[in-house]
Amino acid sequence: MSDVLRAPAEAKYAEELDWLESIDDSPKPFSWRLSPKMVRLFILGSERADGLDREISQKWFGDRSFVERSIVTLASDRGLLLIGDPGTGKSWLAELLSAAISRNSTLVVQGTAGTTEDHIKYSWNVSMVIAKGQSRESMIPSPIMTAMETGAIGRFEELTRSTSDVQDALISILSEKYISVPELQSDGTDAGDNIVFAKPGFSVIATANSRDRGVNDLSSALKRRFNFVRIPVVTNKKSEAEIVRFRTEELLRRHAIDLDVPPTLLDVLLQSFADLRASAAAAGSDDEKLESALSTAEQIGVLEDAVLHSNFFGESTLTARTLASSLVGSLARRDPEDLAIFNKYLHGVVEPRSKQEGGSWPEFLDGGRDTIATLS
Amino acid sequence: MSGSSTNGPGENGPGEASFTALRGQLHEAATAFADGPDALEGILLGMVDDVDRAVREPLEIFPVCHHSPASALAMARRLREKQPKVVYLELCEDMAPLLGELRNCRLPVAVQAFASDIDGFPAEWAPLSVVAPVTEASAEYQAIAYALDTPGVELVLVDRSSDHVFQWDGRHGERTPQEASGPAAGSAEPEAALHGEAVGVEIGDLRPRFAELEEHLLRHGKVRHWSEWWHQYVEVPLGDSDHAAYRQVMFLIGSLFRRLAPGDGDRVRVDEDRERYMWTRIREHLASSGADPEDCLYVCGAFHAASRVEEFGVAGSGSYLISPRSATTWQHGLIPSSHAAIEAQFGLASGSVSIAATQWAKNLKRTRVQPFRLAGQDGARKPRASKRAAPAVPAAPEEAAADRLSGFLRRPPVLDTLDEAELLGWSVDIVRAARRSGYLASTADAIAVFETSILLAGMRDRAKPTPYDFQDAAITCIEKDAVPGRRDVRRLVEIMMGGDRIGRVGYDALPPLARDVHDRLAPLELRLQQRGVQRALLDMHSRPELGACSDVLWMLRRLMPHGAARPIMGERKLGERSIQESWDLALGTHQRALIELGYEGVSIEQVLEQRLRRDAYGPRATTAVVLASVEDATLYLRSRRLADELGHRALEVLAAERTVDGAPEVLRRVRGLLAYYRTGEPVLPPWVESFVKAGYAHYCTLLPTAFTDEDVTAGQVAAMLGFLFSMESLALSLGCDRAQLELAVAQSRPTDPERTALLWAAQVQLGALSRAELRERCGELLANPMVVPAYPRYLSGFVHALVPVPGLADVVVEAVSNAFARLPDPVLLPWLPTLITTLRAGAADLAPLLVREAGRIFPARLAALDTWVPPWHEVPEPDASAAGRAEAADGGCRGAALLFAHPGTLDVVAGLLGCDGTWAAPDADAAGPALSARHPDTATAWESLLTSS
Repeated sequence: MSDVLRAPAEAKYAEELDWLESIDDSPKPFSWRLSPKMVRLFILGSERADGLDREISQKWFGDRSFVERSIVTLASDRGLLLIGDPGTGKSWLAELLSAAISRNSTLVVQGTAGTTEDHIKYSWNVSMVIAKGQSRESMIPSPIMTAMETGAIGRFEELTRSTSDVQDALISILSEKYISVPELQSDGTDAGDNIVFAKPGFSVIATANSRDRGVNDLSSALKRRFNFVRIPVVTNKKSEAEIVRFRTEELLRRHAIDLDVPPTLLDVLLQSFADLRASAAAAGSDDEKLESALSTAEQIGVLEDAVLHSNFFGESTLTARTLASSLVGSLARRDPEDLAIFNKYLHGVVEPRSKQEGGSWPEFLDGGRDTIATLS
Repeated sequence: MSGSSTNGPGENGPGEASFTALRGQLHEAATAFADGPDALEGILLGMVDDVDRAVREPLEIFPVCHHSPASALAMARRLREKQPKVVYLELCEDMAPLLGELRNCRLPVAVQAFASDIDGFPAEWAPLSVVAPVTEASAEYQAIAYALDTPGVELVLVDRSSDHVFQWDGRHGERTPQEASGPAAGSAEPEAALHGEAVGVEIGDLRPRFAELEEHLLRHGKVRHWSEWWHQYVEVPLGDSDHAAYRQVMFLIGSLFRRLAPGDGDRVRVDEDRERYMWTRIREHLASSGADPEDCLYVCGAFHAASRVEEFGVAGSGSYLISPRSATTWQHGLIPSSHAAIEAQFGLASGSVSIAATQWAKNLKRTRVQPFRLAGQDGARKPRASKRAAPAVPAAPEEAAADRLSGFLRRPPVLDTLDEAELLGWSVDIVRAARRSGYLASTADAIAVFETSILLAGMRDRAKPTPYDFQDAAITCIEKDAVPGRRDVRRLVEIMMGGDRIGRVGYDALPPLARDVHDRLAPLELRLQQRGVQRALLDMHSRPELGACSDVLWMLRRLMPHGAARPIMGERKLGERSIQESWDLALGTHQRALIELGYEGVSIEQVLEQRLRRDAYGPRATTAVVLASVEDATLYLRSRRLADELGHRALEVLAAERTVDGAPEVLRRVRGLLAYYRTGEPVLPPWVESFVKAGYAHYCTLLPTAFTDEDVTAGQVAAMLGFLFSMESLALSLGCDRAQLELAVAQSRPTDPERTALLWAAQVQLGALSRAELRERCGELLANPMVVPAYPRYLSGFVHALVPVPGLADVVVEAVSNAFARLPDPVLLPWLPTLITTLRAGAADLAPLLVREAGRIFPARLAALDTWVPPWHEVPEPDASAAGRAEAADGGCRGAALLFAHPGTLDVVAGLLGCDGTWAAPDADAAGPALSARHPDTATAWESLLTSS
């Protein structure tokens, strides 16, 4: 177990990336570490038909064309904007892309309401400025500026959370590909000293939450400089199961937990989410549906909670009872409304099913009932 | 299994040799890759056997795939080379007579077989409809055009008939036609629904019938859908290959799908039956016509070319017996089709047929192959050179069986060279199109699209971006977070790549009814064949001949789906005639509906008459429905004969009816018809008289039960009473007896307040209850606290009672006013919505009546309201002046009494006119003729005038 809680993708898959780089003989754009086809292979995993000596696991689950379009965008001179509902894997895809292309996925700016232009461009080390005056040494480059200097991929998370003036600072970076530092004097001999030029290979991957639309809308000038790739919510049960399994395994590895997730329980979890989504779609008002977005990420959260609970407080096996209690515990956020929905769900859907199908369902029903009783 | 062939060794010498090498290789591959060699080897070598067998068949089999430009191109080439004398085509054999009409249409159109009167199938399947769409870029069109326009060439359709499509469908009882029909009906695009509910048949359906196999092929081919896979792995590599290679590859693919994934058992059985059917028909034709199989060409889907049924081949066994058709009568016609409709019907990716059409046009230009076109084809460009000018290249039969597969299979994927100019053109065009639909796209985007397309194609191992790569690139670069207009970039690319093309059936190919409609609407001087809505203005006052057009339009409105003919101004009601009308017409858009109307008869009058009769004699016909038919027959057909016939039918239905559900509708219709006949005819038609008589007796009989039956609403009872009271005078004159009605009312003992109020109203009308008594009852109800909560329901009953007894309006106004004045709010307020809805439902009849009455009773101005006393609160006291007036009128001279009472007025008038007469005392004895005695001149003048003439 490494001493890092969550290693970035390039560290986690370092060995795989090295191997891919060693066998990659296709032309690579700019300073890319892998060719576009290898990047795709790294993200979507290998198949027998690819004829590789070792298997590359699939790391992101979704339509192949999204990945291809994203890679191609980065090879062109436009930025990439991944847009989608929360929990659809946008940030994960962005991390994988930058890890594969430039072996550095940590050049990240997190967009918030408090993000300023300094976070995107540069700021000053005040004590050094007092001691030595303004110079390249006393300047603190932003992650984006570092990416420009090294020809790497810079990432901007939650672009639409930051205010419009901050967003617009990206326009010149994306079109001119340089940042000028007016505080530094150009002494004529070293003409480029007050301008930081981007090296080939630099690009930006931004993510935006489609639920935030309208909060800080992108200006059309910025929109032009990004190619939009919309990542849809996973509705295919098969691929959702794969995602949940993949992420849970990773999680168990990280926590060094030796625990089996029985496939039947995974089915129970997927089915219950599918049911709750269906009921949310049919609900007439906000009071009739859960506050949670019921995304795949939430599903993983529920499973993680159940796994941790059974590992530390249970009998080291995951049971349907624990799963139900985690489901209710993590998704019931509003006291009367959400609990009422769960009560309705357990009695209206789970009870008949447990009588009909048996399996893990009766235990799941008991667990859910107990938790509701405790919470209310 | 290797080396074993179904044919004898004598006739397959060269073929045996030619495929031996390939067999050997496959045998090695099978042992190398599979643990147990049997299954894999069986499949691989079986495929070679299939190809071998099909290639060696003396009757040349030409395998095709639908919407494949490569097939069409290979077909055009082969036809020019071989010049066959007979072409056998996999298409329903009963559709043959229609193919010649294709030249009058703009493709794509669909050949349709249609049956509404069905015999031998479950009744709920009706109407049955089969469509076979034909596009210009298809191999079958090439074959049809060649065969029909080349003298001495015979075209024989050999597939099962439309009737068998349904016979075989139903035989296994699992798929109903509804399931088999395309998903077109629910599609968002209107063009996609052009085929309606029809079952589609298509030549050369070639697609894995096994979801996993298709998924596998798509995943490994790195493509998104089947059309793209086909385009990349078959269409492009086959583009320029010669005939032998084309044939062998198509046989191989057909065999591959057949052996790997035959699909569900029922479907395979139907397919094999079709193959038996086709070969049986071919052999029959060969025997009867004596044609040499060498001179013939059999065009069928590649799937069927790899058939292993015993009947396969000219030398196959002839044991198959074709089942007879059912007794259903089939009608045939051409209906317009569209690329979107074909895609929706056969589950193809959106835009794929359009891309195929574009590819076909490009292939033609590139290879300079002269395609076949039916002479005079509508919408086609004139062929530049005569078809005869194409040199007939003799075929080289000895090469046909040579192995062309090994080379094809070993060759790396053929990479089409990059056509930079074409891609540039696309990039510029899409940006222009995007700008037109509201996107903020610029030249920079065109550059980005161009670059991204090439990068994407490179990533997908293609040297040249396919239209699908280009589509992805355009979406990546232009589509942002929201779609500004009606169409997104994906759709724009589809439109740019050829877009949807909608076919049109030409005038000459239309059924007689549709031609007749167009002829009769010709005076409107509109191009009604075109799609889209057109406005027609009819001024019958200045151009009386347009009256006939108006008749046609009203009938079309009655018969065709909503929107085909929509009146904007003008209406047609009993007894009314418009002078001017304006219409929105969309006959071109609804061409299919018009053509299907043509299957029902030869003129719209005939179809309408049939439909009216069908409605009236149908098992669910009610009196109201039949009366509606009578009205329609009078309105649209002006046919007294039909109206009388249907009227008698209404009488029969009424006599058999045991419910009063339709009473309000019956009342409305009968009142309308009665008013129409009374004003327009010297005597009432006999059926109307009988109907009134029968209705009077019928409703009298049902009245007591209706008053107590819980399922009958107050509105229905009111309508019954309305019928009885308003038809009463006519019914009595025809010999009905009023005692019957009085008895019926006396027998009625309703319990619920609404109907009780109705009964009271009826009693008032019949004279059994006076108005004073009715008022008194209402007063009692209001005074009794136990009944007050039910009072509003009495009021509802009174409001309904205005239908049969409109004279009761003043009592109703009084009752409602009292309710507002005296009812406590908790009782009054919940009832108000009921009052409003009741009034609204009968708005046309009830509201004006009540408002007029209320206007008469209530003061007109606000100021007067303070001193106003409702008339029903006034104490009726003997009026002295009125009594005096009555006395004077009785005693004095009738009429002139006022003059004597007030002589001043007349004196002043006389003074003004300059007369100075004196008042004469009224002469009590002389009445009337006093004046003629005083002035006899006038009378004598009159007399002489009258006697002299």
